[in-house]
Amino acid sequence: MTALLLVVSLPCVYWTRGIETRATLEAAAIKRLCVAPERADSWRAAGFTVTPLSAAELASREALPSPGIAPRAGLASPTRSPWIVASGWRFTRHPGAKYVYDVPAGKAALAAAEAVAYGADAVLRIDPADVGILGGMLAFLEALPAVDLPTVSDVAIVDDGSSIAGEVMNLLARRNLLFQVVQAPSPRFPVNIRIGTPEYPREEAADPSGFALKIRGQLTDEQRTLRVYGSEVVICRLTADAGRARLHLVNYGGREIEGLRVRLRGIYGDGEAHVAGAGRLALQEQVVAAGATEFSVPRIATYAVIDLRTSR
Amino acid sequence: MHRRSFVRLLAAAPFAPALQPRNDLPPLRVVSRYSAAATPGMPGPHPGRVVSVASDRCVDTSTGKANDEAVREMMARGMRTLTGAGTTRDAWQRFFDARDVVGIKVNCGGYPYCVSAYEIVAEVVRQLTGLGVPVSQIYVYERFQNQMDEVNYAPHLPEGVQIVAAERANRNVDNSGYDPATYLEADLFGEEDTRSNMMRLVSRSLTKIINIPNMKDHGATGVTGCLKNIAYGSFSNVARTHQRGKSHTYSVVGTLAAVEPLRSRTVLQIMDGLRGVWHGGPFARTTRYVFYPRQILFGTDPVAIDRLLLDVIEEQRRAHGAISIWDRSPGSLKIDDTRARDADPNVNIIIREPGHVEYASTLGLGVYDRGRIRMQDITV
Repeated sequence: MTALLLVVSLPCVYWTRGIETRATLEAAAIKRLCVAPERADSWRAAGFTVTPLSAAELASREALPSPGIAPRAGLASPTRSPWIVASGWRFTRHPGAKYVYDVPAGKAALAAAEAVAYGADAVLRIDPADVGILGGMLAFLEALPAVDLPTVSDVAIVDDGSSIAGEVMNLLARRNLLFQVVQAPSPRFPVNIRIGTPEYPREEAADPSGFALKIRGQLTDEQRTLRVYGSEVVICRLTADAGRARLHLVNYGGREIEGLRVRLRGIYGDGEAHVAGAGRLALQEQVVAAGATEFSVPRIATYAVIDLRTSR
Repeated sequence: MHRRSFVRLLAAAPFAPALQPRNDLPPLRVVSRYSAAATPGMPGPHPGRVVSVASDRCVDTSTGKANDEAVREMMARGMRTLTGAGTTRDAWQRFFDARDVVGIKVNCGGYPYCVSAYEIVAEVVRQLTGLGVPVSQIYVYERFQNQMDEVNYAPHLPEGVQIVAAERANRNVDNSGYDPATYLEADLFGEEDTRSNMMRLVSRSLTKIINIPNMKDHGATGVTGCLKNIAYGSFSNVARTHQRGKSHTYSVVGTLAAVEPLRSRTVLQIMDGLRGVWHGGPFARTTRYVFYPRQILFGTDPVAIDRLLLDVIEEQRRAHGAISIWDRSPGSLKIDDTRARDADPNVNIIIREPGHVEYASTLGLGVYDRGRIRMQDITV
């Protein structure tokens, strides 16, 4: 992916306010907007990069839930097993689809990070109170070194289009079980999930959390390409080729995490973390053992990108 | 002052059932680059030996306030008796010298009514500085800073003593205080974070540790004594071991306590029994379940002390008509209903695992058999 394409894939802020709010956006360094077609010219004249977006086009986009953690009495514990609302699985399932977030105050930066982590085409409807923090996140995202690498997956799931399959994908992603959506089982993967078969009965998939745990057991923790220690609220996307890897870390918990530990299968040498709000940081306590590389990320508030080079 | 001292060999266990082989224990994998000391601190030089010093004066049971002078005397007698030293200074010198970096593992979870007593912690610090250990090399530690802040040891200690915690609070976001290379790995309930890491302070800074637990009941382990305090108080991500009515503490407590270098460096056990909690532990947010054993136990063997603690708590519960800490009946279980547990001492929220003490003995951490525990009772 070129730098230009990366810029294009940044989420667009859908702005309904008038031109008199220009200073607010400029102060936040937000330079690209999606606006109603009739307002496009005035915003262009004000120096903004504008994408006209009609109400019909906006409505045609798939609406996404506001990302984060949510209380679920009896189903989730705030610290041990939080209920995470995340859309990475949707982006993985339908990578070519167009999406729209309509998020309350405090969620715009997380939504932007989530969309970029998966390269999703997303429009953001935000609370104006988030302009400043979103501007900071967009500036960070824009400054990320451009990298175009294939997605890494450990398991394949045949998408039958059902809501149950979607929930299974959701819970696989929730557990950082890297999956690829396929049309038919593929020998490239040690685990191929086709819901409705004797091995993966639909009744079992109706409990997607338990089902994901079953998949984890089939894959085994040792064979997982990615493990995360020190948090239950960070969801990752990994891309890599023979020479490099890029790991996206999205923190849904709303609290900064220190010392998150990551284990990646493979032998990696130098790496660095690009951390939203903190800049470029060195990875800590990096070790290679048993065919895997481990390191700690000094801190992550909402989003971090780890770039690694394979070691020869 | 009436003083009496005697040695007695305790009779067979009155309460605890014999250890049954279990086939439901989860696989546990320990990762540590540290090797054991020639004589690991646990069980140390005095396996199977416990010195109990009691004093009616040590706590005013009407106010809960401790008597500093009485506590000092109890501490001196206990340490001299445990070591056989002629002076208190000599007794402490058997364990520490001026080069040591000493951790004092306190217990703050029972705030406000039952935490490691200020008077005991202060006396430990006084003895250490008396040996020439600089205050900058003395660390009073817990896992959670918010608990330390509540208890607030600072006004009771010399300026310069380090009062530290690994995490700001129990929120599962602060990992930098833990050693990523020293951990227990276990998948207990399908959780994603399968590691419990040792505090960096323990693995990378301290040379010796003094463990100061309280005499408390615990909803998941039966009791929280030496083993639980040092194990769950020195590792991250341990609350995951007990949930939804099931407790894996049976094997995890001892396994964590045995991880090097924690095992080798924990050289002294001082169980604070000035106050105790017989139900609702490890918390003590009400005086309803607080009692006053008015004693301090000294030793190097955490299993032997905890073995005695099992009976202390069981006896209190029996006296109050509460179900046994060994009770495993489904009828007593109201999973995760802490309100019911707090209101009724006949409610368990998890099946307790007091057998963790005996299990720890199988890891070589000490002597469980009461017939082999030599207890010395002193009253001052």
